Amino acid sequence: MGYDSDLSFNYFGPTKIIFGIDSSKDVEIEMGPYGGTKAVVVTDEGIIKAGLIDHIVKALGTKCVGVFSDIPQDTGVEVVDAGAAFAKKNGADIVVSVGGGSVIDTAKGMCMIITEGGSLRDFNGVQLLSRPQTPHVVIPTTAGTGSEVTNVAVIMDKQMGQKRLIVEHFNIPRLAILDPKMTAKLPKLMTAGTGMDAMTHAVEALHAMPHEPITDGLAIHAIRLLSRYLPLCVANGNDLVARGQVQIAATMAGWAFGLSGVGNIHALAHSIGAVAHVPHGIANGILIAECMEFNIESCPEEYALVAEAFGVREKGMDDMDAAKAAIAAMRAFTKKIGHPQKLSEMKVKENDIVKAAELSLGDGAILNNPRLVLDASEMLGIYKKVL
Amino acid sequence: MAKIKALTQEWLDAYKAAIVADPEYKQIAKDWEGSVSLICNADPGKGIPEPIYMFQDYWHGDVGEFVVCDKAKADSAKFVMTGDYSRWKQVALKELDATKALLQGKLKMKGDLPYVVRNIKTVNKVIDILGAFETQWPDDPE
Repeated sequence: MGYDSDLSFNYFGPTKIIFGIDSSKDVEIEMGPYGGTKAVVVTDEGIIKAGLIDHIVKALGTKCVGVFSDIPQDTGVEVVDAGAAFAKKNGADIVVSVGGGSVIDTAKGMCMIITEGGSLRDFNGVQLLSRPQTPHVVIPTTAGTGSEVTNVAVIMDKQMGQKRLIVEHFNIPRLAILDPKMTAKLPKLMTAGTGMDAMTHAVEALHAMPHEPITDGLAIHAIRLLSRYLPLCVANGNDLVARGQVQIAATMAGWAFGLSGVGNIHALAHSIGAVAHVPHGIANGILIAECMEFNIESCPEEYALVAEAFGVREKGMDDMDAAKAAIAAMRAFTKKIGHPQKLSEMKVKENDIVKAAELSLGDGAILNNPRLVLDASEMLGIYKKVL
Repeated sequence: MAKIKALTQEWLDAYKAAIVADPEYKQIAKDWEGSVSLICNADPGKGIPEPIYMFQDYWHGDVGEFVVCDKAKADSAKFVMTGDYSRWKQVALKELDATKALLQGKLKMKGDLPYVVRNIKTVNKVIDILGAFETQWPDDPE
């Protein structure tokens, strides 16, 4: 595919990746080079009940100074501040997060407050930090957010009535431990939803305005892995080979979108999440095909790459035909993995989508969408098609 | 017409005049409320011995105070954008997209990101005007 002659980009992926079954047991050994000796473990009650924390706390031994687990599905500014206060009180100098996106993003916010002081509400802006933050080790228990390798955290701010997008190069996790066993207990719907989050990251990394060859490569292979292995994970959660490949795909897609950005799918998913509490990955999975339809005239070449990754580009298809095939494949894929198809299945109402459409125009993701979005009615039109 | 020395009061005056004279600005910026500060970090090797603080007041398509100021006034703005001299020069010369620069960490912004996103046409317009007049940059040959 072609790139503009004025192509310019920064590629910055500093997170070390450790992959392998049972690799989470090595957390204490692997965190050594990052200097921390007093680790606060950040997680949620669901992860504790699932028995995913005990072996990590045991592995950390005396280096574990406490476990902070009071984290809801959609984390908030107050949660981050409380977590940071807990960490400081216990003298923590390194953060080990064990969980999905909400837990990892909470931990990212905590790293900032432990280092800089104050409240997360003081950090209202983009790239405000000027020094490395408290080291952060991530052990994901879902395969979707890619947050283990990105500079982004999404934190609900009830005062603003909107999710706050925190973008900080100096706060990218230092180490991610991908242990397929840590995702094996995810229920089918969560597996499908978080997997579609990863798929959306990959597709949006391809169509986002700043996309470039390195992120394209990561995104395309992530789509290949997801199209092959996500259905296997949904069918059999104990298939650790498939779980592992989906974890790797989610991390690759995370690297891709963390650098190239995302577009209107995320703007709409963040907004309907803020208004109607639809889980982020499921919102993405419901919206992705319709958003691709909206964008298709602006990026047929990129969607043709999606078709190639799905293996549905047939001989003789031009880019537009292939892009249409990609959208059809995406619809079929979400059905194959048993993913919800409509927002109404998630109890979203007509007045919710009106509010969310307005909100979406203030979401940073929309800046990178390949098709210029000028009016909330355009976003409302997409919501209506999937209501 | 003589070139105007960049990042000076004279330069800010010219910038303000160019915004006022722009036929589209008033309409595009009709919803924008609030001040913006630009902070240029010191770079002695390029003729910027101390940080430069510039305060600009925008209100519903009108422009108010545009002044070189002290740090306290700059920090009081609704939006504070900070960057190295070379980055600001690249933005003014349209060699660097300001939005991309923010996301890549080449510029920093303190302020409400969703507000900026909702008003991105205004932001793009004032950046577009920034390069509309002849400027003498400190590290350019006279």
